[in-house]
Amino acid sequence: MKSNLMKHTFYASFIAILLFSNLGFAQQEEQKEEFDVRKYKTVYKFNSFKQSDNSRLLEVSFIVQNKKDRKDKIPVFEAEIYFYNVLNDEELLLGTAFTSKEGIAKLTLPSSQNYELDEDGFINLTARFIGSKGLKSAKKSLAVKDLHLELNLKEIDSVKTVIVKAYTLTLDSLQTKVPLEEADITIFVKGMLSNMPIKEGSIEDGVFEFEFPTNIPGDGDGDVTVIANIEDHDEFGNVAQEKFINWGSHKITPVKKVKNTLWSESAPLWMYIVLSILLLGVWANYIYTIFNLFKIKKEGKSINLATEE
Amino acid sequence: MTRCIMKNNKNEKSSTDRRKFLKLGLLSSVTAVAGTSLISNLTSEETSTSKEKIRLLTPDGKMVEVDAENVNKYPEAHITPSESRKGIPDRKFVMVIDLAKCKNARKCVEGCQKAHDLDYNEEFMKVQLIQDNPEASPYWLPKPCFHCDEPPCVTVCPTGATFKRDDNIVLVDNDRCIGCKFCVTSCPYSARQFNWGHKDKFKDTSQPYSPETSVPAAEGTVMKCDFCPDMLRQGKLPHCAQSCPMGVIYFGDKNEDIVTNGDETVRFSELIKDRGGYRHLEHLGTKPNVYYLPAVNRQFPLERGFNVDEDIIERYKDVPYVQQLKKDGKI
Amino acid sequence: MDIDKRKRELVKEFSPALENYSLKTKIWIGCLVAIILVGFYAFLVQLINGHIVTGMRDNVVWGIYIINFIFFVGISYSGAFISGILHFFKTPWKNSVSRIVELITVLSLIIGPIFILLCIGRLDRLHYLFLYPRIQSPITWDIIAIMTDLVGCFIYLYLTFIPDFAILRDNKELKVAKWQKKAYRILALNYQDTTEQRERLHKITRTMSVMIIVLAIVAYTVLAWIFSLTLQPGWNSTIFAPYFIIAGLYSGVGVIIISMYAIRKYFHLERYIRKVHFIAAGIVLLVMSLLFGYFTFSEYFARWFSHKENDVHLLDTLFNRYFWEFIFANYIGVLVPIVILFFKKFRTIKSITFAAIIAVLGLWLNRFLIVVPTLETPYLPIQDTRAEFVNYSATWVEYSLSLTGIAAFCLLFTLLIKFVPIIPMSGIIDYERDQKKYNKRQPKKAVK
Repeated sequence: MKSNLMKHTFYASFIAILLFSNLGFAQQEEQKEEFDVRKYKTVYKFNSFKQSDNSRLLEVSFIVQNKKDRKDKIPVFEAEIYFYNVLNDEELLLGTAFTSKEGIAKLTLPSSQNYELDEDGFINLTARFIGSKGLKSAKKSLAVKDLHLELNLKEIDSVKTVIVKAYTLTLDSLQTKVPLEEADITIFVKGMLSNMPIKEGSIEDGVFEFEFPTNIPGDGDGDVTVIANIEDHDEFGNVAQEKFINWGSHKITPVKKVKNTLWSESAPLWMYIVLSILLLGVWANYIYTIFNLFKIKKEGKSINLATEE
Repeated sequence: MTRCIMKNNKNEKSSTDRRKFLKLGLLSSVTAVAGTSLISNLTSEETSTSKEKIRLLTPDGKMVEVDAENVNKYPEAHITPSESRKGIPDRKFVMVIDLAKCKNARKCVEGCQKAHDLDYNEEFMKVQLIQDNPEASPYWLPKPCFHCDEPPCVTVCPTGATFKRDDNIVLVDNDRCIGCKFCVTSCPYSARQFNWGHKDKFKDTSQPYSPETSVPAAEGTVMKCDFCPDMLRQGKLPHCAQSCPMGVIYFGDKNEDIVTNGDETVRFSELIKDRGGYRHLEHLGTKPNVYYLPAVNRQFPLERGFNVDEDIIERYKDVPYVQQLKKDGKI
Repeated sequence: MDIDKRKRELVKEFSPALENYSLKTKIWIGCLVAIILVGFYAFLVQLINGHIVTGMRDNVVWGIYIINFIFFVGISYSGAFISGILHFFKTPWKNSVSRIVELITVLSLIIGPIFILLCIGRLDRLHYLFLYPRIQSPITWDIIAIMTDLVGCFIYLYLTFIPDFAILRDNKELKVAKWQKKAYRILALNYQDTTEQRERLHKITRTMSVMIIVLAIVAYTVLAWIFSLTLQPGWNSTIFAPYFIIAGLYSGVGVIIISMYAIRKYFHLERYIRKVHFIAAGIVLLVMSLLFGYFTFSEYFARWFSHKENDVHLLDTLFNRYFWEFIFANYIGVLVPIVILFFKKFRTIKSITFAAIIAVLGLWLNRFLIVVPTLETPYLPIQDTRAEFVNYSATWVEYSLSLTGIAAFCLLFTLLIKFVPIIPMSGIIDYERDQKKYNKRQPKKAVK
């Protein structure tokens, strides 16, 4: 058998190569087959956030989802999204942004941005992906009204009170304030990792008011950032307002120099003292001993010299 | 288009600021992704031998696989070993684990392993099955490092390789560790692991070593759960808390008195007060910073937790309850 | 010149041991070197592949390396203790055993710390101990204590060697290599045995003998603290320091008896190392075995009686998985020596040596039972499917290196007694001189 194989090494290796290359080919084929963009449907979401500095964040989430396996989602990366302000078929480009690795494209428009409004006072916005050979174009539009959210933090009769006011402005040149009729609102306190809701309620006739809890610690200086947020409203989209104030219930005393403990970098003082005394005592004795040995050596030398003489 | 370019410029300018912010851990929770890396850059590293891949779709409708680490990397925020000795200012981190919600899904373990480049059996977070007494109902106990306020491991370290920071976190600097293993024997919670032999992953040079990420690990040194300070500096939850589907793990700052599990944000003190929070083996006096909420009014029957690998079930064979289950032929 | 004559006599008596290597010695040395070479190979294996080649894993992170470390340092400590006492109180029979004891002290103190080095994951970073020291760590204390102790023991050993070096230097008839003679000359430090020199040497030897007793106690206490200062159920015990000291003495006296026996046999020193010495050492061993048994009983009894959950778990492990080891270490290892040494008629040289061997083996196992089962029963149960992570079993690398430790100890001992006489000649002369003075002063009483 062995010699037979040896004889046919050439053929054997040839077959082997053929086999492996085939296999590799098959694998490649398989991989190619594995992904087919047609099996996926596009999930394309568009949202508007009015932020506390009155800027507006436009956000598109662009992912594809397997039609059969809903858990199989792939974000679209580096797709250029065009954001438009639309008024009667006319599209004004506001800007473009690329999607991130999470499939999210963000465009922030400054508060000074001028929008074209329709007769009802809505800003019509469109986010568009142009599309390519492999990926179909996508488009989503939304209409939001510009809502003004005012957050006032006041001490009324020494009661810390949060007052939220919400209104829109009329379209005429007078720009009179029209109080918001009704909307759900949540008030948060800003945290390091996330914001903690402290009150949920609804704005009625443009106002929402409540007593600020007395036991919110706040940050190191006792500062609390209060956030008022209207989420996903039909007319206004997402609107948020925030303000910070020194209402924290306890102020953290700055960390003094860390006490020397067993687990700190430096040991308690007495440990250094005891160890030094012990070591000093022992090593002093060693030195004394060695000193005496030198003396013995010297004495011996003088005796040696004496006997030689 | 011009706006877009301007935006990029702005990003570049702010990148040094961003680095500073990250080091201070002050970056607000809304983090715009600053990277302008192109797909070509990402795909060129596609051939590199890495375990964890994420899939992305290009605008051309092609799917590319990218190293997960490559995506999560924030090189501009690298915290050197000496920088990592200072905590994030004014923070006192705590973790609260709600035992009533845990069903041993092991997603915390896997998320942690992925992030810290750990092997199958290397677990910073362990899920144990504890039965306090024969009558007691057993419960799943996710067990990270407790980041004690009086940590015995730090006390006994002869070189200061493991240290306690002002923000409550206990870290290991594996550049400093001499591998005497004294900390392993002195930890009453068995939270520490030792790298006994060579592994290829130790040579990973794709990112510089930081005690805050514990990556790459080094042979002959100790490692353990680090509370993911690299994530905290970005305003994100630690990997275990992030990957738990049940919201078992709450994490936050005790100074702020706020903890969150990603879905729900609550007052730490109220949570502990209302739900009878406790610390494990309190009598040892180590003052852990991980709190547990007792496993009362469970959301899932315990048996749900046996829906895991055979060899993981095998771990719990000494628990009386499991022995009973085996006797009854239920597993 | 009575003394000079006596010196020559003594050199003549002991010179055969120094002058020639018999075939037996050569074979013995060859065997030891072979064991050491295997150990060296094992060390290389461990260095190249990492600690994965040992049986130690995440739960039992300390294995027989640490056990050997405690064991050897314990022997050294007890050697220092006994030698210090022999010198300080000018015990009449110190001459027969003091050099054996001193050699054991220094050699085991050299071998012991090597085992702790084997246990360290990153030997390349050893200097970090001095670069970034933390005074709170018991390991730091231990390093300081052992280094100080080692230096102290070296100085002490050297002090006891000086007069003998001088005698060997002055003897022209000794047939040894040139380098050896030169070494004697340098090491003898011009010591001429004048009254002044002798008194000075005696004075510093006496202070050093006290010093090394203290050091030995401190060093071994610190070693016990490495265990007892942790929170682990089997280790966190207030009596650990004295317990370790008694245990160290117990094993140390055992090793001394075994060496006395071997040396007596090998060098035919029946004249010097006599049955009296064995019986005296045997009685010390008896006292130690009683004390050791008492401490062991107190330790386990308190755990059993108070039965805290984790202690019960530990005791369960000891009485099940480690049943025979426990019986041998804490019953046989204590009771057999007690029975042999308690009854006068059982006290023969051979039986005393046998008791010593049992004591030493039992004590090694006792150390094993202190270290390993505790690590196998932590507060939180070990839930792991990998057998090697649950229970410890040493690998060939660890056994080989342990044997190397013993072999290196024997080899160094053999080589050193080729260099200096095993019985201190100067001690004999001093003794005889004192005896003479004593006789002159009280002639009637001193006559035997």
